[in-house]
Amino acid sequence: MHECCSVEDAQVWGDVLAQAVTGELVGALNYEALAELYDDVGEKAEALEHAAGERAHAAMFSAAGRDLGIEVTVNLQAQYWKRIRSAFLARAQAADLVDCILAQEVMLESFAVASYQVAAAAAPGRLGSTFGRIAAEEAEHVAHAIEMLQAERARDPGGFDASVYRVHGQVMPALAEMIAREDPSGYCGLCKGNCVKASLRRVGLRLSDVRGASLRRYLQTLDEIGVPGELSLGWVAQLPL
Amino acid sequence: MLDFALIVHSETWSGAAAVISALRGPDRPPIPFEDVREIIPWIPPRALCRVSVESAKGHRVHGLCIDCFIPPDRLEGTFLRENLARVRQAAAYAIRERARIVSLGGFSSILLEGKMDILPQHPETAFTTGNTLTVALIVRGIERALDLGGRELSESNVLIVGASGDVGSGCARCLAPKVRRLLLCARNPDRLRRFASEFSGLRIPVEAGTDLLKLAPKADVVICAASATRPIEMLQALPPGAIVCDAGYPKNFPPGCAPQGGAVFFGGHAQASAGIRLDPDLLGVIYPYPLPNVAHACLLEGIALALEKRFEPFSVGRGSITPARVDEIWRIADGHGIGLPPLFNREGLVSVPPMAQELHR
Repeated sequence: MHECCSVEDAQVWGDVLAQAVTGELVGALNYEALAELYDDVGEKAEALEHAAGERAHAAMFSAAGRDLGIEVTVNLQAQYWKRIRSAFLARAQAADLVDCILAQEVMLESFAVASYQVAAAAAPGRLGSTFGRIAAEEAEHVAHAIEMLQAERARDPGGFDASVYRVHGQVMPALAEMIAREDPSGYCGLCKGNCVKASLRRVGLRLSDVRGASLRRYLQTLDEIGVPGELSLGWVAQLPL
Repeated sequence: MLDFALIVHSETWSGAAAVISALRGPDRPPIPFEDVREIIPWIPPRALCRVSVESAKGHRVHGLCIDCFIPPDRLEGTFLRENLARVRQAAAYAIRERARIVSLGGFSSILLEGKMDILPQHPETAFTTGNTLTVALIVRGIERALDLGGRELSESNVLIVGASGDVGSGCARCLAPKVRRLLLCARNPDRLRRFASEFSGLRIPVEAGTDLLKLAPKADVVICAASATRPIEMLQALPPGAIVCDAGYPKNFPPGCAPQGGAVFFGGHAQASAGIRLDPDLLGVIYPYPLPNVAHACLLEGIALALEKRFEPFSVGRGSITPARVDEIWRIADGHGIGLPPLFNREGLVSVPPMAQELHR
């Protein structure tokens, strides 16, 4: 057991880590699919590096769980992650590279960066630094996407914004439900006991901070790409919060 | 390039929730109130809607309404640093959008206390607090109210709450030569004393003090240019038939409150007769008033200047509003059909009862 963490606290962190590990593995699969869509060899290699990075993150989170005496659950069929993966796969099957980048590198990574930063501030010792380090690496993925998507938007602002809205509608509702006050669709498929949301406060985490920071990061990323603020605000307001 | 930008924020949580609900659309259930309270503080300043305004002369200007998302329960000094950061971010947003003139609505200009240099600067973007047009609309609102009640300004004892502030001092300068007696109230005694000395050459009596409840019984017209410390007690202390212009931010009085035989109306609003259009159409949500095309005068100052193609920092600093500048901005606004709406408050249109003989002192 971790020196600064009770058994009860470790169980809470175990459930949080289950979301993180599963999300990283979904990310790895998504990057592998993305690699298939690139013609450019350099971009293909980079996507595969990102996929390997996501697997490494999953391994780091699992190791952090073992430090706490917890075997972290992994379930790629967990309902929210399954919906997100399906949405991504549909865009990959349509061979829509931009849509796939939007889903993985803008939406999922923005969510990851923000929620890991919140966890890093609350988690004890090495667990906190693990969350912090991985958040910083995920932020690099977002930055990589922003540059490419700015150029994409400059070519056709209206068409690009319509694509973002479409992908937003396929990916973001599942993420929003995942971090909603209550699970609107029932058991998430990852918590070992009762829903962890009710217990987050005992480890210094606030669900409202996770929700707020995630939405803020997402909006800021869209701002940097150049999506008009009034559009992104309207999209976020329409989420099942 | 945009003609103008308006920096705004919600005054109440119910107002903020109404905006979010409107953005969600009628087919989605409203977000629970507690979720709105949790999420708003995280939203970075951003455009809320596009705005276009037509002038009575047929000109049209286009702009952006930028919400700085100051949480309504943080409109106080404790959150000064956080709120200033939000206003600066909103100003940077306006510059990024290449707005030629930016009006600082509501609390955003109050926070700055005239120190416009706190804002990011750009040679092609001018900032105005909008306070000069606010003063113009308050003064004309008082004149209209007295006219409706069959009363004379020259026979009125006018109390100004927040008299040493930018709007309050502007109102005092405009009204001083026209009233029977001027009563000035403010929280900072030194600043108030300095300001009151401006009127030493006038023939009318001028009384200044920090105790609102001592001054209120002597007034038959009140302008709340700021938040009053004890607004309900002030209303109770007023003589019967008193007229109150509530131009405070946030508003001072809950619905249904008025002096006996008197009236409370909202001051500092203007109406753009040729139309204000918002996309998405949030005007009725932001201003749930009984009149169309009404908005805060401070916002409409920037729009009037844009219609006039005067992209200049018309209202800056603190305490420098003069009657000549008030007349100037009034002429500009009036020329474009931006003027005084019928008197109203949260409950609807306001009628001013004639002063009954037995109530008149």
